[in-house]
Amino acid sequence: MRRPVYIAGSGLLCARGDSPDAVAASLWAGDYQAGKRRLGEREYPYFPLHLAESDWMKRAEQAVRQVTSQLGPLAATTPLFIASSSFQIGYFEQQGEPFNLPAANAEFSCQLALWMHLDGPCSSFSSACISGFSAIEAARSLIATGQIDEAVIIGLELTNNVTLAGFAAMELLSRTNSRPFDKNRDGLVLGEAVAAIRLSATPSNWHIAGLCTGIDAYSTTGPDPDGGQIASVTVDCLKEAHFLPGDIELIKVQAAGSPGTDLAEANALKKVFGEKIPPLLSLKPALGHTLGASGIAELATLLACLAADQIPATAGYSEADPEIGPVSPVDRNKCHINRAMLNLIGFGGGLATMIIERV
Amino acid sequence: MAYLNAPISQHFAAQELPIAVRSALGKPLRRAAALTQLALVGRLASLAENRRHQPTALLWQSPSGPRAETLALLQEVCIGSGEPMPLDFLAIQPAIAAAQIQPFLPGLQSASYLPLDTDGKAQWSLLLNMALNWLDEGRYAQVLCAHLDLLPTIAESHWLTLSKEPLENPLLKLQLTSITADNHLPDTPDFPQHLNLWLQQSNANVIYLQSPAAYRQALKFTRI
Repeated sequence: MRRPVYIAGSGLLCARGDSPDAVAASLWAGDYQAGKRRLGEREYPYFPLHLAESDWMKRAEQAVRQVTSQLGPLAATTPLFIASSSFQIGYFEQQGEPFNLPAANAEFSCQLALWMHLDGPCSSFSSACISGFSAIEAARSLIATGQIDEAVIIGLELTNNVTLAGFAAMELLSRTNSRPFDKNRDGLVLGEAVAAIRLSATPSNWHIAGLCTGIDAYSTTGPDPDGGQIASVTVDCLKEAHFLPGDIELIKVQAAGSPGTDLAEANALKKVFGEKIPPLLSLKPALGHTLGASGIAELATLLACLAADQIPATAGYSEADPEIGPVSPVDRNKCHINRAMLNLIGFGGGLATMIIERV
Repeated sequence: MAYLNAPISQHFAAQELPIAVRSALGKPLRRAAALTQLALVGRLASLAENRRHQPTALLWQSPSGPRAETLALLQEVCIGSGEPMPLDFLAIQPAIAAAQIQPFLPGLQSASYLPLDTDGKAQWSLLLNMALNWLDEGRYAQVLCAHLDLLPTIAESHWLTLSKEPLENPLLKLQLTSITADNHLPDTPDFPQHLNLWLQQSNANVIYLQSPAAYRQALKFTRI
C-alpha cells in the first residue's frame, strides 16, 4: 500500500508573526528587522519570539499552545513527531547548577505532548538543521504505507546560550545581517521558532511529491563547496516526485548567508538546473536560522506565501558574488506557484530536499 | 519485505570503548564523542566489508544521547568563559556522527537520530517501519537500525540490519501483516538481544514485535 500524503494544516510562531498568514504578510510588507542578543562582550543580531514571559519553561508552554491552537481540532491519539536541535537546554541554563539533565535526553517531548493534549505515539528527531524534514519523512512513511492516517509534526527551537555560543565559537555568525548569495555575506543569524504541520491521508491543497535526505561528510561544519552531494539529493528527490528540473517553479533555498554553504548550494543548483535555475527565495534573512525548527517553520511560511500568491523578496542580497555567478534571489512577485522545492543543508553534514505540489 | 542477519548486541566498559574503536579501525577515531565511537564499532560489526559500499541508511535511537558532553558544555558556557571550544559544541550534536563515520562506511547516504523521551523504552517499531518502507521504495540496499546507550560505566548498543536482498546468511524475513498472534516480543531497548535468544531457543517459526504505538499492521519476523 502506498498513498499520497497531504499537508492539511500548519501553525507558526516566529520573530515575524504569530501565524503562517501573519508571517507571510509581514514578509510581503518587507519586514526583516532583527533584534539583538548579547553573549559576553559580543552582540549578535538575533530573531526572537515576541513573548514577554521570561521563565523559559512557561514561555515554551505559551509558544507551543499558541501554535497547537492554529492546527484546529486534533484527536488526542494523533501521532506526534517532534524536531529540535536543542530541546530544553535553555531551561537548564536558566535553572543553573546542578544541571539536572533527565535520564532520557528527549524527556521534554513528553511535556510538549501534554501541552498539546496528545497522548498517542510520540517520537523525537534531532538531526541538527534537517531535523524537521527527518521528522516529516518518518510521519510521511507511516501515512504512505497506511500505518497511520494523520500526524502532527512540530519543530521547536527556543533561546539558549549554548547554541549561540557554539556557533559564535566556530565563527559562523554574522555580526550584521544574513546576506544569502551576496558577495559580502559573512555568516548566518540565529532565531527562535515553534512551528507545526499536520500531515494526512485525506486530500488537501498540497501534497508532498518527494522528500529525500542525504549526508555530505566533507566537513562537520559545512558541505563540499563543489555541491555534488547536495545536487545528488536534489536529483533523487526529483526522481521520487517524477519531475524534471524544469517542472520546479520556485526553490526555497537553504542560503543563510554562510560563505561556504551558500557557495556549495549555488554550485549544486547549477549542476541540477543548468542555466535554467528556477526563482530562488531564502527565508532565513527574515526568520533567522531556526535550526531544528527551520524545516517546518519555513515550510509553514512558504505555504502561506504560496496560498496568497505573494512571493516575497529575499532581504540582504545586493551584490552578485563572482564566485557564485548568476545565482540570485527572485524579486518580490505575485506568481502562482504549483510546484516548489525546499532545501535544507545542515550543520553536521545533513542534507534534505522536499518537493511540494498543489493539488 | 526485508531480510535480516543475526542481530548484534555489544557491551563495553566505558574505558574499553576507545580500545574497541582502535581494534576495529587500526587507529583511534580522533575528535569523536563517545556516542560516535559506539555507533562506529556497531556499524562495522553489523556490515561485512563487502557490504559497506552499498547504499545504506542509518536510523538510530538513544535515551542518554551525548549526556556527558552536554553537561560539560553547560558547565563551560554557564560557569566558564561563555564561549565553548568548537569541538565541545560539536560533541553535543549527534548528527555529526554520520559525517564522522561515513569515511568508514562509504555507502552511508542518510542518517536520522531519534533521542528517546523515556528511559527503558524504545522505538524499534518506528525504525523498522521506516526501514521497510525505504527498502520497498528501493531507496537503499540496506538500513541499519540501532539503539545506543551510554551510562557512566558501560556503553551498550543493539543493532538490526535490514536488506532488500538476502545477505550471505539471512536468518529472518520481516514483513508487515494485519494478522497478529500471541507470540510477540515487547519494544524494549534490547529487542535485538531477545530476538537472538528467540532464534536460538524457540521452535516457533514466527514472532511479532509488539509496539505501544498501535500501528495498523504488525511487524512479523519469520525464521528462514
